[in-house]
Amino acid sequence: MTAAPPTFAVNLVNVTKRFGQQVAVNDLTLQVPTGSIYGFIGPNGSGKTTTIRMIMHIVLPDNGTVEVLGQQGTRAANDVIGYLPEERGLYKKMTVRRLLVYYAGLKGMGAKDAGRAADDWLDRMDLSAWAGKKLEALSKGMAQKVQFISSVIARPKLLILDEPFSGLDPVNLEVIRTAILDLRKQGTTIIFSTHSMSAAEEMCDYVFMIYRGNKVLDGTLASIRARYGNDTIRLRVPGGAEALRGIPGVEVARDFGQNLELRNTGDPQALLQAIASRARVELFEVTTPSLHDIFVRIAKPQTTEVAHA
Amino acid sequence: MRKIWIVALTEYLNSVRSKAFILGIVALPVMMFGGLIIGHLASDKVDVRPRKLAVVDQSGLFLPLLESRAAERNANELFSSTNRTKQVKPAFVIEAASTNGALSEGLELTLSDRVRSKDLFAFLLIRTNAAEIGATNAISYYTETATYEELPQWLNRVVNDEAKRRRFESAGVDRALIQRLTAPVEIRQLGLTKRDTSGKIQGAKETNRTATFLIPLGAVLLLFMLVMSSAPALLNSVLEEKMQKIAEVLVASVSPFQLMMGKLLGGVMVSLTLSVLYLGSTGWMLAKFEMFSYVEPSLFLWFIFFQLVAMLTFGSIFLAIGSACSEIRDAQSLMFPAMMMVILPMFCLGPVLQSPSSSFARALSLFPPATPTIMTLRIASKPGPPLWEILLGAALSTLFMLLCVWAAGKIFRIGVLSQGQAPTLGKMLKWVVSK
Repeated sequence: MTAAPPTFAVNLVNVTKRFGQQVAVNDLTLQVPTGSIYGFIGPNGSGKTTTIRMIMHIVLPDNGTVEVLGQQGTRAANDVIGYLPEERGLYKKMTVRRLLVYYAGLKGMGAKDAGRAADDWLDRMDLSAWAGKKLEALSKGMAQKVQFISSVIARPKLLILDEPFSGLDPVNLEVIRTAILDLRKQGTTIIFSTHSMSAAEEMCDYVFMIYRGNKVLDGTLASIRARYGNDTIRLRVPGGAEALRGIPGVEVARDFGQNLELRNTGDPQALLQAIASRARVELFEVTTPSLHDIFVRIAKPQTTEVAHA
Repeated sequence: MRKIWIVALTEYLNSVRSKAFILGIVALPVMMFGGLIIGHLASDKVDVRPRKLAVVDQSGLFLPLLESRAAERNANELFSSTNRTKQVKPAFVIEAASTNGALSEGLELTLSDRVRSKDLFAFLLIRTNAAEIGATNAISYYTETATYEELPQWLNRVVNDEAKRRRFESAGVDRALIQRLTAPVEIRQLGLTKRDTSGKIQGAKETNRTATFLIPLGAVLLLFMLVMSSAPALLNSVLEEKMQKIAEVLVASVSPFQLMMGKLLGGVMVSLTLSVLYLGSTGWMLAKFEMFSYVEPSLFLWFIFFQLVAMLTFGSIFLAIGSACSEIRDAQSLMFPAMMMVILPMFCLGPVLQSPSSSFARALSLFPPATPTIMTLRIASKPGPPLWEILLGAALSTLFMLLCVWAAGKIFRIGVLSQGQAPTLGKMLKWVVSK
C-alpha cells in the first residue's frame, strides 16, 4: 500500500537566506498544493532562483524549514524532483540518448528503464532521428527540447521549471506547454518560474510573487486580482493616450499601441462620458487588473501618470 | 555510492572515447621513440662537401703527414660501411699555403679572406716548435664555423700522434713498451653476494649501469606523465560544466561531494587505464630484453599505489580550483601553485638518484606532496629504502590525500554554483573552514 501524497508538495515555513549582508529571501512561508501548477514571478534578482535552490536543497536556508514531498531538510526527495534551471547547458560531445540515460541514472532510474523512457520522450518530441547524434549537432530549439526531456525523464512527482519557454519558437513552445499540462494531469506538481505574465495567467492555478526577498503575492489568480479590485479599464480610442489628457483620476498602466490599460480611481461611467465627449470610443471594458499590471504596480510603483490639466 | 559510480563511469567513458585520449596513448611512445627515430634519420643528413684546409707548416714536420693521412682517410672512411655508395663523411683536402713556410699577419689576413669567400673551410698555422715538449701556442686552427668539430678533432689526433712519436724517438724510448706498461686496469662494478632460499650462496652479478638508472627514471617519468595527463584534465572538465551551465542540473540530482568524487574516480580510472597499458608494455619489453631481473615485482605494486595517491591528491586539488573559477583565464593563474606541487619534486631527481638514502632524499620522500614521486624513485633505485620508511611515506601521503579530498569537497560545494570573479586562495581557505 502506498502512502497518500502529502497535501503540500512544498511547504516552506519562515525561511530566510542571506548571502553576506544581502538578504536573498526573507521569512518566506509558502505552501504548494500537490498536483497544482504554481507560478513563481518576480523581477530579476528578487529571490526566485534562491527559493528554488532551497527547495532543491542545493542551498540551505539560514532559518526556517523546507519540506519537500514530505521530506524535511534532506535531499532525499531530489530523485523525484525534475529541475530545469534557467541557465542550462548540455554536454556537447555526448549523444542525445546517452545524455538522457545519464541524467535519468542520476535520478536513480535503471539503465533499461531510462533507455525506454528516453526513446518514448524522443519519439513524442519528434527527435527520434537525433537519438544517436551528438548534442553539438542539434539546433537551439531541439537542444531546448532535450533539456526539457532531461528534467522529466525520471517521472518526477515535483517538476521545477525555471523559464521553460524562453527562446522557444511558437511551435516548440506549444509542444512543451502541452507536455507540462499532461504531466499535471498525471498528478505531477509543477512549479514554474517565469517572466511571461501571460503564460502564468494561462497555466497557473496559483501565483507567488517575490520582490526584494519578500513575498508580495500568493494565491489563486482570481483572489489576487480581486484584491486589486475592478479599477482597470481596457480602452481603444483613436489617438490613444492623447484622448485622456486632462481627465483627472486616471493613469495609463500599459499602452499596447491599439489598446490601453488604464487605472481609474474615479467613477467608470463619468470616465466613459468624458472620453466619449472627445473621441469615438471603440472599446471600453471595466475589468480586474492583469497580472502584468499587478507585477508592475508592485515592482515599479511610479507608473506613468497622465498629465493632469 | 551508486550515483558516484554513474558519474565516474560516464566521465571515464567520455574520456576514453575521445580522440584526445587515443592520441594521448600514442603520444608518449611517439615522443620517446620519435625523438630517437628523428635523430637517427637526421644523422644521415650530413654535409659531405669537401673541407678544404690550408696548412702553413713552419716546422716542416707535419704537412706531408697530414696530406698522406687525409688521402688515406678520404680513400677509406668517407663511405658507409654497409652501403659503399653512400658518402657519410666529407673529404678533407689539404693545401700547402706557403711554400717557404713563413708566417706573417698579411698571410693570416689573406687566408682569412679566403675562408670568408668560402674558398677555404679553415686554415692551420704550425710553428717551428710544435713538436717540442712544453710548447705553447704552437699550432692554431682558424675557422668561421667553430661548431664543426670533426676536422679539428682529426687534426688534433694526427698532429699529437706525430708529436708524441717524435718525442719518444728523440728520447730513445720504445713507445710500444710504454703503451703496454701504461694499459689501464678495468674495474668491474658488481651487486652483492646473497644467499638464495635454498641456502646456497649466489655470486654477485655485474650491475647494468643502464638499467640501474633507466628503471627508476623511467618509473618516475611515467608516474609524472600519468598524473599530468589526467589530473589537470579534471579542472577543465568541471570548468566546462560551469561555463556551459551543466553543473546546476547535476547538483540537483547528486550532492556536490558525490559529483566531485564521481569525477575524481573517473579521472583515476582513466589514469589507471593508461597505467595498465604502459606498465603492461614496459613489462613486455623488460621480458623481451631479459631485464626483468632488474625490477622487483613490488615496484609495480608500489607504483600503482603511489599513482592512486597522487591522482586522488592532485586530482582533488585541480577539481577544487576548477569548481571555484568561471573562466579559463582565472583557472590558469590559480592552477600555477598546484602545478608547482606536481613539478617541483621532478627537479630533485638528480640528487636523489645519486644518493637515494641521503637525509635529503629521505626527508623529501616523507614530505607528502613529493612522496609519490620521490618514494617511487627510491624504491626503484636498488637496494631501496627500508620498509618502515615506505610504509610511513604511504601513511603520510594517504593522510594528506584524505585532507586534500576533504578540503576540495568543501571548496567544490560552494564553488560549483558560484559565478563571477574567481576567489583568491585566501577565500578558498575560508570556504574550507566554513560550515
